[in-house]
Amino acid sequence: MNEVPLGFLELRGVTKQFGEFTALEDVNLSISEGEFFTLVGPSGSGKTTLIRILVGMDSPTSGEIALRGDVINHVPANRRPTCMVFQNLALFPHKTVGQNVEFAMKIAGVATSTRRERALELLELLRLPSDFYSKRINQCSGGERQRIALARALAFDPEILFFDEPLSALDFRLRKTLEKELKDIHRETGKTFVYITHSLEEAMVMSDRIGILNHGKLIQIGSPDDIYNRPLNKFVAQFMGEVNTLAVEKAGTGKVKDSATGSMYEITENGQEFESGFMIIRPEVMKIGGAADVLPNRIQGVLFNDYALGSRIQYQVRSADGEDQWLVERLQDDPFSGNAGEPVTIGWRAEDSILVSS
Amino acid sequence: MKSMLQRKVVRALIVVWTLTVLLFLYMPMMAVVMASFTKQRYFRFPVNAWDTRWYEKAFESLSVRDLFWTSFSVALLVTILSVVLAFFGALAFARYDWKGRKMYQRIILLPIFFPQAVLGLALLLWFSSLGITTSWHTAVFAHMIWILPIVTLIMSIQVYSFDPVWEEAAYDLGASRLQVLREITLPILSPGIISGAVFAFLLSWGNFPLSLFTTGADQTIPEWLYSKMVSGYTPMVPTLGSLTMGGAAGFLLIAFLIVLAVRRLRAGKPD
Repeated sequence: MNEVPLGFLELRGVTKQFGEFTALEDVNLSISEGEFFTLVGPSGSGKTTLIRILVGMDSPTSGEIALRGDVINHVPANRRPTCMVFQNLALFPHKTVGQNVEFAMKIAGVATSTRRERALELLELLRLPSDFYSKRINQCSGGERQRIALARALAFDPEILFFDEPLSALDFRLRKTLEKELKDIHRETGKTFVYITHSLEEAMVMSDRIGILNHGKLIQIGSPDDIYNRPLNKFVAQFMGEVNTLAVEKAGTGKVKDSATGSMYEITENGQEFESGFMIIRPEVMKIGGAADVLPNRIQGVLFNDYALGSRIQYQVRSADGEDQWLVERLQDDPFSGNAGEPVTIGWRAEDSILVSS
Repeated sequence: MKSMLQRKVVRALIVVWTLTVLLFLYMPMMAVVMASFTKQRYFRFPVNAWDTRWYEKAFESLSVRDLFWTSFSVALLVTILSVVLAFFGALAFARYDWKGRKMYQRIILLPIFFPQAVLGLALLLWFSSLGITTSWHTAVFAHMIWILPIVTLIMSIQVYSFDPVWEEAAYDLGASRLQVLREITLPILSPGIISGAVFAFLLSWGNFPLSLFTTGADQTIPEWLYSKMVSGYTPMVPTLGSLTMGGAAGFLLIAFLIVLAVRRLRAGKPD
């Protein structure tokens, strides 16, 4: 038989059933050493179940999990060389910051002085002043607790570090800072990080690769660029944020037809097979007003309203009958000068449409 | 706006009220303590001749020693058993959602609301129909029926604020089940365990109605106090009463010191 190259962490046909309910269905995944891999999915997609199986707090109904080629399905969490940063961090409230960080080393029987030295190193790595060592957990802020939880997990020196949406409870700015910090820590430690989140945006910032999970199935695995520019289906395309979606079918070379209205649109053929499905156009590639007049794909509509999104402004345009609505985004310093209620033309280039079959 | 005078009056009234309540609560107990230092053979108040000879007698008396050991053994055993059972009971109540949990919780609490004398009588009937000779051992069982639900309730309050994810995190960091219990569960739940133990001990130590029916030939201090009040009064009654109170107060003090020491130990040095 051929030698099959094994991934560092390998999932083969992992299925989990709770009674009649299938939480995970035939999940196959291979994660390489040192990778930052993120599993993204909406709530109820099975991502929490999957991470609990990966850390060893739950076991799959069928399928195999292998670490460096050894099947670890039945190795309990405390015997696995992996550990997790929990969603609510699970810092021990009765222990000081230092005692929290040192916990795994204490369990492993590391000498007190070595433990202390290592804990202080980790606090420094996570940009926490050394006087935090003797602080109590309830004296620390949300961001500081994140760092302590990460330090505690790193002190375990795990082969894989799992994250169960630890940033979800933080405010936007702090989350953005910590996302970048986490990516930096990943580079500095060179460890394998497996992260789960419901935010594809968060995943994009940090990950080498992303896996999209929905209804217990792994729908697409790819680089952030793949996921963004080459979504495999409508779900993945819409998961990133608001997009324009149109049901279409193939109508000759370089053309598709709107299944409902029969309008024709130009597309760029990229060799992918497509019979019928959806055309996805991101709001930021759409043009509005004069800029749209020269484009091959145009739609006449009425400007309904505009919304400030910070760095961009979003315009909602509705078709004359009010049935369809379209989103167009322009940079905040380049606003469109139309008024609500006025007729406008919107359009996009042939190469800006993404076609998905389902 | 309130004037300074008004505020002063209000503050004075609060002080007077507080002192009145304290006086009302503690004066009777003080009276017993004072009565225990009397020279007379009869219960009289106010006391006009002071003496400590009843205390000397109490400490010399072998039957008092017996009484003390019976009360202490019962209370100690009740404490240990209740704390162990309530610990697991509280975990089961607070952590797992099973069918009929609420109902079971209520049923198990029900004995608290029965008159203790009735409960004692019922137990006595039960013991004799089962052919069990009552002694201080049966009293332990009787006390448990009343005290265990209370201790479970006290511990449940602490367990409800315990997040099982702490245990998972420790387990994930390599700790065995036993290490999780020792490092995480017990220390975090220790305030609840200590207050549960204090309640168990003091409720058993001072219990009279259940003991009366279920100790058989053995006698606890409250039983002895009652029997001597009914017939054959001796100034040993207030003396022993004061000593029991002192014992309870001393027990509370020790528990308090333990809590303080544990807290200091934890905050002070890395473990």
